[in-house]
Amino acid sequence: MTNNVVGLFHDPESALTAAGELKGAGFESLEIMSPVPIHGVEKVLGKKKSVIKNFTFTGALIGGMSGFALAAGTAVLYPHPVGGRPIITMPPFLIISYELTILFGILATVLGFIVSSRLPAFRNRVYVPEAAVDKFVVTAPCDDAEHYQRAKAILNAAGAEQVRKIRGDDL
Amino acid sequence: MTTPTERNDLGYNDIHEDVVRSIVKTGPKYYIALATAGSVTLLCFFFPWFYQLYYGIGAAGMNHPGVWGTYLSSFIFWIGLSHSGTLLSCVLHLTNSSWRKAMYRSAEAMTLFSLVVAATYVMVHVGRPWFIHWALPYPNQMELWPNFRSPLLFDVMAIATYITGSTIFIYMGSIPDFAAVRDRTSGWRNTMYTLLSLGWRGTDKEWHRLHWAYTFLAVLIIPLAVSVHSIVSWDFAMSIVPALHQTIFAPYFVVGAIYSGTAGIVTVMFVLRKTMGFEQYITKLHFDNLGKLLLVLSLIWTYINAVELFTGWYSGSSEEYEALGYKLFGFYAPLYWEMILFCAVAPLLMFSTRFRTSFVPMLILSIAINIGMYTERFLIIATSLSRQYLPDAWGVYVPSLVEISIMVGSFALFTTLFLVFVKIFPSVSMYEVKETMATPKIEPLAPASGSPA
Repeated sequence: MTNNVVGLFHDPESALTAAGELKGAGFESLEIMSPVPIHGVEKVLGKKKSVIKNFTFTGALIGGMSGFALAAGTAVLYPHPVGGRPIITMPPFLIISYELTILFGILATVLGFIVSSRLPAFRNRVYVPEAAVDKFVVTAPCDDAEHYQRAKAILNAAGAEQVRKIRGDDL
Repeated sequence: MTTPTERNDLGYNDIHEDVVRSIVKTGPKYYIALATAGSVTLLCFFFPWFYQLYYGIGAAGMNHPGVWGTYLSSFIFWIGLSHSGTLLSCVLHLTNSSWRKAMYRSAEAMTLFSLVVAATYVMVHVGRPWFIHWALPYPNQMELWPNFRSPLLFDVMAIATYITGSTIFIYMGSIPDFAAVRDRTSGWRNTMYTLLSLGWRGTDKEWHRLHWAYTFLAVLIIPLAVSVHSIVSWDFAMSIVPALHQTIFAPYFVVGAIYSGTAGIVTVMFVLRKTMGFEQYITKLHFDNLGKLLLVLSLIWTYINAVELFTGWYSGSSEEYEALGYKLFGFYAPLYWEMILFCAVAPLLMFSTRFRTSFVPMLILSIAINIGMYTERFLIIATSLSRQYLPDAWGVYVPSLVEISIMVGSFALFTTLFLVFVKIFPSVSMYEVKETMATPKIEPLAPASGSPA
């Protein structure tokens, strides 16, 4: 049960400044909550890599192959010769393959999103409802009172309009 | 960057309030509209359909040679209408067009519900919907598999993928808004939004992941949407019926689909703007841009129609001549010229900026375009099947009352679904409209009332 310090800001710039200073002061696992995606987070909190593209690519690849396998496989299981033409006919089977490439790609992208963003969340986490409306929020876990005072000072100096403490057992 | 709102003094909180209000506050007019749409759906769509199931497919006016009728043309119409929402939204997302943001959610909903209506039409069209699973590849005791060389099977695959894709796309884009509405609601709504929002908090990590997932989905859905209507066109073009067996059909259908879909968006935007109080978010700018798009599409559509006529004439074969002459001057000729008037001539009005930025004329034009586009789909089927090769196989198809009623009912079904949607989904994307606004400024503490600023 960790306690958290939470600073609410009016604008993204001061929230980013505050986050940068907290990071500089040695606070870890910082999070910025915002009503809109903010640009420049990566400069402050470090570059993020997303694994979603790997999911999408793998899904699309599997989809393409299984689409072709489905069409060609079922054609071979029940051969139905038409006018001496090949049993495995490329153009139509590639269309099936194309559609399943996209279907599996989409489903894998969703899976990738769910895995990498840790959603759905089944446990309580630090949250400030104002962050969904018009406030930019910086949070950091801090356990003892001294840490909290230090974080509060940094947040206030960066122009926080409010600093709160969210206790671990409140969550 | 253009500002999507007419009032520049709108703040983050205003849009939040407006959208939450549109979901939570429901007046009697809404219930009257919902009840009307619901009962028309029951009366005109489901009742005749059950009658047809009971009586047999003979209740529909389809017979040799007109073995395809309004069920199929309505199916193409609804699939076509679905083409603009998600496709347009994806293209505009990838090209960073900020004017998309106020309207894309409802445009995507339009896609989804037209697809649902189209899928229901397949059920109506097949006559014995309890055998619909025969179209799916599953192991069975007869060791039979579907024929994957048939465009009808491409259809099954493409439409199933398209419904899945558009559902996921609209849902993913709504997660942050579900979270925002979650905090403002109580009771069953709160439970629903808590589940739908998956515990979204809007952290930097979540935004980052959502951005990438959303972009990948957009990239995947664009080629999908193009393929869906190409495949629908092959249902016809792969037959050897004169006037259907044409290479131009795939682009013809795709352009027609985007054209009618964009016109559909204009209609829906007008209605949303008037009824939901979104005048500040859906503005002249949107109608202007959509109007330009419609104009371009109408020109391409006209061109393709000319090409279709030219290829028919240039083929020099008597059956193509016959089909062509029948289309232009035969039994269905009034419908053909109505289509030309609504889809090729009337849209030229949009060359005028004043026309594009006037709401009511745009509404009327958008409805006219969709009437024209429905006619187009009907004519593709009716005129070609009526004149196939040998004169003893010629005939005329006229829809029966059951078919006409189901066609009317399908519009009510769409309306019902849309009415339910506006009360569940935030119909304007809050976080993206906020993105286009200036970031909140610090308000002066305790403003002195009455004193000059």
